[in-house]
Amino acid sequence: MRPISVTFTIGLIFGYLSLRLLLTSMFPIELVSDSVKNEKNQLDAYNIHTEANQKTSSAENPPNSARILCWIMTGPRNLESRTKHVKQTWGKHCHHILYMSSVKTDFPTVELNVSEGRENLYWKTIRALQYIHQHHQDQANWFLKADDDTFVVIENLQYILSKLDPEKPLYLGRRFKPFISQGYMSGGAGYVLSKEALRRFVEGFQTGQCTHFSTIEDMALGKCMETMKVEPVDTRDVKGRQTFHAFPLDHYVIRQLPRPRPWHMIYDYYEPNEGPNCCSDFIVSFHYIYAVQQYVLEYFTYHLRPYGYSYRFRPDEIVEANNKTNKGG
Amino acid sequence: MQVMCLEFLSSQVWLETFLIGRDFWFVLKTCRIFIEISYCCSYIWGFCRSEDSRMADELYNKVRILCWVMTGPKNLETKTRHVKYTWSRHCNVVVFMSSVDDPDFPTVGLGTKEGRDQLYWKTIRAFHYAYEHYANEADWFLKADDDTYVIVDNLRWILANHTPDEPIYFGRRFKPYTKQGYMSGGAGYVLSREALRRFVEGFKDKVCTHTSSVEDLAMGQCMEKVGVLAGDSRDTAQRETFHPFVPEQHLTAKFPKSFWYWSYCYYPISEGPKCCSDVSVSFHYVDATGMYMLEYYAYHLRAFGYRYRYQPPTPKAYRAELPNPWDSIKLLVNKLG
Repeated sequence: MRPISVTFTIGLIFGYLSLRLLLTSMFPIELVSDSVKNEKNQLDAYNIHTEANQKTSSAENPPNSARILCWIMTGPRNLESRTKHVKQTWGKHCHHILYMSSVKTDFPTVELNVSEGRENLYWKTIRALQYIHQHHQDQANWFLKADDDTFVVIENLQYILSKLDPEKPLYLGRRFKPFISQGYMSGGAGYVLSKEALRRFVEGFQTGQCTHFSTIEDMALGKCMETMKVEPVDTRDVKGRQTFHAFPLDHYVIRQLPRPRPWHMIYDYYEPNEGPNCCSDFIVSFHYIYAVQQYVLEYFTYHLRPYGYSYRFRPDEIVEANNKTNKGG
Repeated sequence: MQVMCLEFLSSQVWLETFLIGRDFWFVLKTCRIFIEISYCCSYIWGFCRSEDSRMADELYNKVRILCWVMTGPKNLETKTRHVKYTWSRHCNVVVFMSSVDDPDFPTVGLGTKEGRDQLYWKTIRAFHYAYEHYANEADWFLKADDDTYVIVDNLRWILANHTPDEPIYFGRRFKPYTKQGYMSGGAGYVLSREALRRFVEGFKDKVCTHTSSVEDLAMGQCMEKVGVLAGDSRDTAQRETFHPFVPEQHLTAKFPKSFWYWSYCYYPISEGPKCCSDVSVSFHYVDATGMYMLEYYAYHLRAFGYRYRYQPPTPKAYRAELPNPWDSIKLLVNKLG
């Protein structure tokens, strides 16, 4: 009995040790040890988040190397009233951010050599994209356009972009269906061009395939994208809920009584949902968010949460768990 | 927890090898080892599934909250209905208190009239009703208005550091007119079971009476008389959790220095981002649209993969003892079978 029992025990120990090795490599100790976590929490509890000058960890360590250059369409009139608040809230989460205006200032803004006004929006867009292509094309592989009254959650945009290839000609945003057969992306909700799409846009203007044929910036850009064979991407989440929004939340999440549909629901390329299924948990943008509302949305996105709550929508559980461990959860 | 378990297990295994020579103990020891391995596995299994939902489920069962909403027949369709469909679903028990019985909604009729001067009568009757009917089903009793939005999970986090046998109550603390302060009515306040018992006894013994129609102040004065402590509901970073206004105002507005708010708040006021905790509990003056928006903002909207800077420490109620190994085995068997 003795030799058999010794062999059995050695086998048992070997099995236990290999199981432990396997488990600790899959689930790092930081996650596994509650008692250690408690100590860490006590320390972390004394770190108060200040709005002053702090880049978030997400900007420093993008989960999947989607480097985003944000450019904000703004003007001298709005710098104090709107753009300043963008700079202090979500602007900090971009890897690079440029403020496109008609005048160079110390804000800092980039001078585009175009006058202000709604009729010049497409000229501003063209010049801005050409400027970015000339000076900044190597700094990022995705290029986000937003207005000074758009609120963007960069981390959620990175999540979407992590699944796409920036060398392909891709174009993302809130897809509208009229006027352009493949659809175009709403300007206010913000849109993203891949590196290749930016190259093709600039090339289109160089070769004359794209022209300034209209002052309606988003629609005209959509036409150029179609001409240059840039594909629009379906940015809805796995449950079919939208991520880019051309209006604030209350336009979508409140179910209204039956009424003639407003224009933005008629324009939507994908069948719009009103009510709780309108908007993804991981939204990318809201529009018409003026000034101080930016801080409110930042509080709701990056601070307020229910303690201990387990979210129902967890599309990539493993990815989320890995991200948390990489940042020291 | 799991590391401790694995360490324990490895030391156990080494211990067992010394004893393995004895045939009589051999079978028993190996069985124990297997039991402990399965106990560790089930712990890890529970972790694999969803660590967070264990915490939420556990707090739901350990910190039982009865929410009663102060409302009236006029507001049922315009306001209270939206409370019913949003945050009140997260309470263990919810009761809508009105002046008239409405079995369809349903609301409880308190036998008072409507109007601002009736507020304290309604409060007294509502708490008595809750004590009579629900004293065994809940540990904490929250009062809220039909324009208050409450994040009940965060309230559980605060309350989990206390027991329902403590005579204590929490809310947005105001300082005037009382020694220990009183809690703002609009921002909502929550009494422990002991505090509620003392409140009811206070009225029976006539220590407390209907002193005024200013509900929150009168409540605070009664609480002081019966020896209930006014708790500090701020988080570990000294930020307030109960808020008497909407988030926009706390986060962005600059209240004029002459505004009553400055002289009322018990603790120093912070304007701007430090006003409001990450684990805020309530906001007041929230309209119908705001209810759905806050429900979305609190329970859905988040940044993917974002690591929050402020990590609220695990409350005392959750730092549980090691689970019984037999429970873990049963759990594992259930999950496998």
